[in-house]
Amino acid sequence: MKPKVAFFDFTGCEGCQLEAINFEQELLDIISAVDIVNFREAMTERSDDYDIAFIDGAISTERDIARIKEIRGRAKILVPIGACACIGGINCLKNFYSMDEALKIVYGDDAKYYDTIPARPIDAVVPVEHYVRGCPMTQSEFLKVVKALLQGKRPDIPNYPVCVECKMAGNVCVFEKGETCLGPVTRAGCGALCVSNGRICWGCRGLVDNPNADSEKEILKKHGLSVEQVLSRFRMFDGYSEVAK
Amino acid sequence: MHSQVIAKQELAAFVENLLRQGEVVGVRRKDGKYVFDKIGSPGELCLDYDVTVLSPKEYFLPQREAFLKFELAEAIKAEPITQAQRRIILGVHPYDIKAIQLMDAVFSKDNPDPNYFRKREAATIIGVDCLNPSPHAFCASVGTATAESGFDLLLTDIGAEYVVAIGSAKGEELLQKHAKTRDASDGDLSKGKTARDEAARKYQLSAPVSLDQIPRLLEENYDHPLWEELAQKCLSCGSCTMVCPTCVCFDVQEDVALTLTTGERYRQWDSCLLEDFAKVATGENFRQHRSTRLRHRYFRKGKYMMERFGIQGCVGCGRCITACLAEIASPVDTYSRLKGGS
Repeated sequence: MKPKVAFFDFTGCEGCQLEAINFEQELLDIISAVDIVNFREAMTERSDDYDIAFIDGAISTERDIARIKEIRGRAKILVPIGACACIGGINCLKNFYSMDEALKIVYGDDAKYYDTIPARPIDAVVPVEHYVRGCPMTQSEFLKVVKALLQGKRPDIPNYPVCVECKMAGNVCVFEKGETCLGPVTRAGCGALCVSNGRICWGCRGLVDNPNADSEKEILKKHGLSVEQVLSRFRMFDGYSEVAK
Repeated sequence: MHSQVIAKQELAAFVENLLRQGEVVGVRRKDGKYVFDKIGSPGELCLDYDVTVLSPKEYFLPQREAFLKFELAEAIKAEPITQAQRRIILGVHPYDIKAIQLMDAVFSKDNPDPNYFRKREAATIIGVDCLNPSPHAFCASVGTATAESGFDLLLTDIGAEYVVAIGSAKGEELLQKHAKTRDASDGDLSKGKTARDEAARKYQLSAPVSLDQIPRLLEENYDHPLWEELAQKCLSCGSCTMVCPTCVCFDVQEDVALTLTTGERYRQWDSCLLEDFAKVATGENFRQHRSTRLRHRYFRKGKYMMERFGIQGCVGCGRCITACLAEIASPVDTYSRLKGGS
């Protein structure tokens, strides 16, 4: 009996669902291994009978809260996919404004037609079983989680920082190039994709379990960032976490 | 062991010939630093570098290496994978040569590691003396600034030429077949020695205690408050161990296909600095605190390796000092602090 899988979207760009559709080599194997019964971005059929629910996007309205609770009630396994769902992501940038102010900035005179609450990750509202992190979600990690679920195992997701993968990739450290990055406290699993391509790590995969954020902040300051700049670095993706406050 | 001399313009021809033999890995520039990488032409090669980001360790113990493939049919089938690409590694510094010798000791103990030794046997090591050491290196004080063995050939820059020390029959044959050289005179050898002696004086750092004292220094300071002090800054990022030429720990994992019918078992670099390194199945973590993990690294390098293999676990390359953003990974600083406090 193939597990029934559903995809749902909340507040986000839906890029993580696009990543799920974008599997080229593996797509046929995926749909042979599971029954996809609900996936608005990819198909018209819809069913409320599913075992595994993948959630894209953050929670940012009262309606979202009711809806995710309903999904949680139906799914045996709930897996947030991508930064918005896993850690709140860039949606949480608005949490540093009052909600009235945020609505006004975004909707102007039409603000009165909308309601909004401070953005939060899925696990701030309902318990989740696993995470597929990244912005967009890391495809290889999605496969890892799917395979683990098919085998009834716990997926082995890195609990070490991006530095590990960045060093393995043979990159020259961003700090040695005169820039700064969040790699030392950000959970690996992306293969240090951004640094390997000449960028810096912005922390889209969230923090490791016990990050030494104080030390990271000191290091960022020593490399020329002001306190405000240090916090804004963390707020880019991880504004919901304590380290960004 | 006799030596030869090769003119610098002849070296390019030698490298051209080596490239026709198969894969050549050498040192090239990357983002203002140096890395080992596949070389396509002699012009890409850099022989007067200070230190590379990673050591050539990855060519013997790859970052990720599948070593078993299996089929999950009625009867489970499994087959070992031992791949070894023939490869010439060109431009290895003496401290990295010593680190490879240390890895040889580790991987030959008890059950010799076939994956490691296949790669070792398939590799030819052409070293080069390090004449412009990194500001973070302290090789001269730990006996790793020069190497007498562990290479097939070793170059020393004496100006317009290189002295080529021959370290093995394989090296000698390679040189005879593919390079235009002449016998080294006493004068050439003395120029080589002068170059090494001058380089030894360029090291800006030195180990504050002699090698044989380090195990005792550590033993007496197992509960030193320094470990906790350094741990306050430690990111547990593992960078010091990833760049270390003598760190050989790996984790073993399995990956199966989506069909769940085939898969492979692989190993991947691990680090004792990482939180989950000493975590076991029940969730118990034998080195849960940063301070105990950080301390373990120093003990492993300075004491345990010495006890198990009779070799100091640190070759003084200074890569950890460069890599550590928190500036707490320096064996020189740590041993100085322990010595000062004991």
